[in-house]
Amino acid sequence: MKIELRGVCFGYNNKNPLIDDFNCTFESGKCYCLKGRNGCGKTTLTKLILRLLVAQSGEIVIDNENIKKMSVAEISQNVGYLFQNPELQLFAPTVKEELSFPFELNKTLTQETEVRIEETLRQFGLTELKNSFPLLLSGGEKQRLALATIFVRDIKFLILDEPSSSIDCEGKQFLSELIADFVRSGGGVLVISHDEEFVALLDNPEMLWLGEAE
Amino acid sequence: MKTDPRTKLLLIVCLSTLAVIAVDIIYLSIIFCVAAAVNALLGTNIIKVLPKMRFLLSVIVFISVAQSLTVKGGAPLLYIKNIVFVSTAGLLYGGEFALRMSIVILSSLIALSTGSRDMIDGLIKMRIPYEIAFMVSITLRFLPVFRDEFSNRLNALRLRGFDLKKAALGKKLKIYSYLLAPAVSGSIIRSRELAESIESRGFRAFGKRTSLRDLTLKSADYFVIILTLACAGGFAAFMYIKGALL
Repeated sequence: MKIELRGVCFGYNNKNPLIDDFNCTFESGKCYCLKGRNGCGKTTLTKLILRLLVAQSGEIVIDNENIKKMSVAEISQNVGYLFQNPELQLFAPTVKEELSFPFELNKTLTQETEVRIEETLRQFGLTELKNSFPLLLSGGEKQRLALATIFVRDIKFLILDEPSSSIDCEGKQFLSELIADFVRSGGGVLVISHDEEFVALLDNPEMLWLGEAE
Repeated sequence: MKTDPRTKLLLIVCLSTLAVIAVDIIYLSIIFCVAAAVNALLGTNIIKVLPKMRFLLSVIVFISVAQSLTVKGGAPLLYIKNIVFVSTAGLLYGGEFALRMSIVILSSLIALSTGSRDMIDGLIKMRIPYEIAFMVSITLRFLPVFRDEFSNRLNALRLRGFDLKKAALGKKLKIYSYLLAPAVSGSIIRSRELAESIESRGFRAFGKRTSLRDLTLKSADYFVIILTLACAGGFAAFMYIKGALL
């Protein structure tokens, strides 16, 4: 999978563009680490890739197809996104339903997907919590659940927005291993992080800067 | 135009009350024009606010159209044989509803031209306890938070590969009801955190609060208050005589 950003410009007001002529290519099998000062537009950039926001000029191309022709749902079939605050991406009444609800909606909940959901719950250490209310979990558990909702699908590219902000050392280790495994299996990862300790745990990431260097 | 928050609150109450008690489309149109003029004079940026109220406006239009089609009476305007689709009574009823709601929205927009601090001070001057005034102010500021909570969850669903645009109406309603519960829970959790934050900053630590800036009604405010009360009272009396009151 290849995500290309060509001359992307975006600003929340017309006077000051937040992202100005940004060019970059993300490929499968690689881990990228995007850095930049607070408020320089890192999260905004990821929202542009996912088409939650629309670039004012320039183009974003996923596998040779301009995302202008794609819906958020279509992009998300291949690109997973972990929110800066994972709590905001949880909405189901139980942990298990958090994973099964989109399958139910799309009418793709089969015996096979049920097995996959159980496997994913086990992989993320959530089996014992499967009947719990997601919003009452701890910060680390919420993040593991948000990641599980991504990994339960067959995604090819993963975007993580400040993933280490609410987890302990053990959680960081788990997350860095998860990223390494995903990259080894051919997936691409874009990590936004200020946490040097966490970035040091990543396996040889390609460093990118947005805006002026710190 | 710099106006005291109490004057604005009086304008809001008078315009909203007139909108509720008036039943004739002509009088409602006059009140609508006055509400729009008041907003213009106070410098409310209506154009900037309108896109944020898209959903509410579409609901008003939907209900108005539904009323136009369902209320029968008067001269038939669109009909096939004996079946009347649109009549003058239905059209007037729908129009009155749309105007009434628009006036209520325009009146509430008057509050936007005042900062929350000024609004609290205004309410306190009207002898409303500080705690209540503060709560009212926080409630108004919490509406965008609730909207964000809901839209974040909606985005989360889209990011899991579900296309809401392609969903049937029944499914959409099911999803909205499904997303409402976590949005409400999220807002309650946030409000609890906000309460803890306020308490930790010494809210109600002292019995009597003092204010650095004291609100005083100026002669222009007295003029607007007297004019508003006279016009609103006179207009209500005129409508009563003409039989156009609820």
